[in-house]
Amino acid sequence: MAETASQKQEKTRQKKPKATGRGRRLKTPRPRIGVFVCQCGGQIASVVDVNELTNYVKTLPNVVYAEQMNFPCSRQGQEEIVTAIKKNRLERVVVAGCSPRLYEPTFQRCVSQAELNPWLFEMANIREFASYCHQANPKQATEKAKDTVRMAVAKAKLLEPLAPIELPMTKKVMVIGGGIAGINAALDLADMGFKVYVVEKTESIGGYMALLDKTFPTLDCSICIEGPKMVDVGRHPNIEIISYADVLKAEGHVGSFKMKVRKNPRYVIAANCTGCGECKDACPIEYPNYADMYLGVRKAISPPFGQAVPLTHTINRDYCIECFKCIDACGAREAINFDQKPEEVDLEVGAIIVAIGYSMYNPSDLEWTGYGKYDNVFTALEFERLILAAGPTGGKVVRASDGQKPHSVAFIQCVGSRDINRYEHCSSFCCMYTLKHAVMLKEKYRDDIEVYVFYNDMRSNFKGYEEFYNRAQKSGVKFLRVKLENRKILENPQTKSLTVSGETEDGKPVTAHSDMVVLANAAVPQQTAAELAKILKIPTAPEGFFMECQPKIRPTDTDVPGIFLAGACQGLKDIPYSVAQGSAAAAQAAAVLSKDVWTVEPLVAQVNEDMCSGCRVCESVCGYNAIAVENLGDKALARVKEGLCRGCGICGSACPMDAISMPNYSDRHIIAQVKAVMERGDKT
Amino acid sequence: MPLKTVKKDTAEKLTLEWVLHVKNYRLSLDRNRCVGCQICSLACPKEAIKVEKQPKSKGEKTRRPKVDVDLAKCNFCGICDILCPYGAVKVTLDNEHSLPVIEKECFPKPIREIQVNPAKFPASREEIEDACPLHLIKVSAPMSEKAESTATVEVEKEYCPCCRVCEVKLPSGAMQVRKFIYGKIAVHQEKCPDGCTDCLDVCPIAGALFLQDKKVAVNDTFCVYCGACKLVCPVEGALELERTRIIHEPIRSGAWNKTLERLTSPVGIAKELKNKGSLKARESVKKRVGLKED
Repeated sequence: MAETASQKQEKTRQKKPKATGRGRRLKTPRPRIGVFVCQCGGQIASVVDVNELTNYVKTLPNVVYAEQMNFPCSRQGQEEIVTAIKKNRLERVVVAGCSPRLYEPTFQRCVSQAELNPWLFEMANIREFASYCHQANPKQATEKAKDTVRMAVAKAKLLEPLAPIELPMTKKVMVIGGGIAGINAALDLADMGFKVYVVEKTESIGGYMALLDKTFPTLDCSICIEGPKMVDVGRHPNIEIISYADVLKAEGHVGSFKMKVRKNPRYVIAANCTGCGECKDACPIEYPNYADMYLGVRKAISPPFGQAVPLTHTINRDYCIECFKCIDACGAREAINFDQKPEEVDLEVGAIIVAIGYSMYNPSDLEWTGYGKYDNVFTALEFERLILAAGPTGGKVVRASDGQKPHSVAFIQCVGSRDINRYEHCSSFCCMYTLKHAVMLKEKYRDDIEVYVFYNDMRSNFKGYEEFYNRAQKSGVKFLRVKLENRKILENPQTKSLTVSGETEDGKPVTAHSDMVVLANAAVPQQTAAELAKILKIPTAPEGFFMECQPKIRPTDTDVPGIFLAGACQGLKDIPYSVAQGSAAAAQAAAVLSKDVWTVEPLVAQVNEDMCSGCRVCESVCGYNAIAVENLGDKALARVKEGLCRGCGICGSACPMDAISMPNYSDRHIIAQVKAVMERGDKT
Repeated sequence: MPLKTVKKDTAEKLTLEWVLHVKNYRLSLDRNRCVGCQICSLACPKEAIKVEKQPKSKGEKTRRPKVDVDLAKCNFCGICDILCPYGAVKVTLDNEHSLPVIEKECFPKPIREIQVNPAKFPASREEIEDACPLHLIKVSAPMSEKAESTATVEVEKEYCPCCRVCEVKLPSGAMQVRKFIYGKIAVHQEKCPDGCTDCLDVCPIAGALFLQDKKVAVNDTFCVYCGACKLVCPVEGALELERTRIIHEPIRSGAWNKTLERLTSPVGIAKELKNKGSLKARESVKKRVGLKED
């Protein structure tokens, strides 16, 4: 039997990390320290007197070599450092330059090229701390730069060689959410040969795209282009769809996330159900179908829509009267089991892609819209199901009040979105789907229908979108630009027709009479987003969408290594961009999964087992669940989960026994730096 | 987006609705016909129906219990409609009476067996119409002595609880009624509080319960075992009521078995299953022996 990643991890934990690295072991108590002072093309040298600083550094204890350079981070600069280390037999290296956040990894690589352990390197930030912030006082800036370098040198003396920690990698991935973004991520990863679990909350994958009629700007049939992909997901040997399921728990870290997923009971055995639909025909009970936006019904045993993947039927026990006619109809297939219970499964994966999408705002609390009060006011998604040929009306656009075709339809933009009292954000795709609806109505009914669009700003800013806007204008759709305030919809109680009114920017009234109104209601974060964020410990932005690591250059990363974002759950976006982001997240997950081991920096908490009393104080203060007390027969000891530890040091400072320390950030190191900074009076 | 639902409750009518774009499901309860009995609340597979005893003010007759339907639980299956002895509930789809549970053979129709023999009716129209305590017998034209009279007597079957009062009141043979709910009822007069007539007040069948030496007595012949009396009875055990059988068309349905269990008792359902079993056995024997249907 193959070892699970957790067993492997246990083994690696047994082995003491060897600190040989790529470097020489250090024997001398007085290490040879080299300091490289960066001029940063004048960004440092124009304020700090680099000559004075370099000369001063040479006087510091243990410093055997100091030199100033223009760009140590350049290829040439790095080569010079390597040569200097070898030539002067340097044992510790300090670069006085910019922020370690930016360049520490670069210099660590450089140091290891010189066959020195990369953790024997220290950085002194004299750019942000001295030259940038004290431009007006070059003299004092120089003094401060001296302090900073002195501290770095004092610490460098005590640095110890470390070895990177290697964590085992489970070559499986979980995609949470089976919408178009999740589908693409899953297919890409499965094609690369990774095992993919697609966990979907509803009965079928497909997401909102499976409910749409057409897609803009090409007016392709939505399910016709998504359906084959859904089928591919269902048939792919590397993909397992876990639909009608919830993610309950996630533990562990990149390489080994331990997930608990609950499969909700369908009361139909998926392996036996062929999706033939005979049970559905026998069932006497109908209930309003969410997939039809409650405009139509489905049977108490049925799939949500015809193209569902998996096509396994589901019994809705809220409506079922338990006549068991479905059991008779199913016959020898024996797919129906009324005793099915929720089933919890444990899965271990190396990476996670979150693609849970968005949900739609219910505008019934916006009184001016009359939604929920007036029969002929619809939301855009309801209209989508109306105009869909496979929808409850067979594609006939008819009014709810009398079943008649409307002679005029008014579309209202920005309902709930771009509203600081509701949702401040722009829902991004409403302008385009409204243009789509308007064009479809005009092309279907020609001169038999008047179409009005009450808009504020028309956002048609991607490939082919502006051209589509022009097509809508040419087709005779009337665009009425109004302010977002003072819009109103009133119903004529007799005819149930509606009067839409608004104001132009300069306060002139705009009115249109229409038989039907369609609201572009805000797209909002998925209801389950907050809960999932808590489970996965990933941050959300204030409006509720998941927070990417960096909005410009890392849009699909989260703060947690190994968890990636795709699609509208990161921020609203339409289909092509969700697809692209699904593939992007898949590529990033693959970059993680393709490694045999995941390497983390060894700057994680270390427990001195002789001193640990097992008091659990560390456990209670750790924000990452990275330290836990384990019972080891006669003794309880704190153990660090290296994949989770961020090296923040809070456990170390809370430990009453002083048993926990951070390598190269121990009390010794910090006190040495404090002492060094206090020495200033003596020297100047 | 949320489902549009409507609930209207007036003194005359309770209406529940699912308003979908293409369909309209409606359950309406005619409060004038509803007697506040136990049947629908026991029959409902979703436990959506509650029957509440009404507070009684002094000197007033006891009011019938009030039926309320929970819109969140109701699935418009129509089982209450099918079983209501008084025909007070109607479930419609797009304003047409709709009972898919019966069409799909998921629930049986109770059999109301009422035979009308106009030849034996008395001459007086009033006498005929008054024979029904619920006024369900309608005579279309004045009766005459002549045999070729064109008058017809019609019973509004869907509202008839089959109490058999007409059968007894009218001359022998004019009406023949078979109950569709069978059961047992008994009043333990020794437990009845003095002067209490609560059960009698709510009983819709005049003659099923009556006063005997200032105590309520029961006439089993007329009782339809609806249980309105039991709901209002203030003393535990003073009134005993048990349903044993419901006459219905043959059916094979889990929903019916559960309803039967709630309406009658495990004994009732065992009896029905046994009955079904023996019928089956008889059929198979007949088939084997080659007997023809008699």
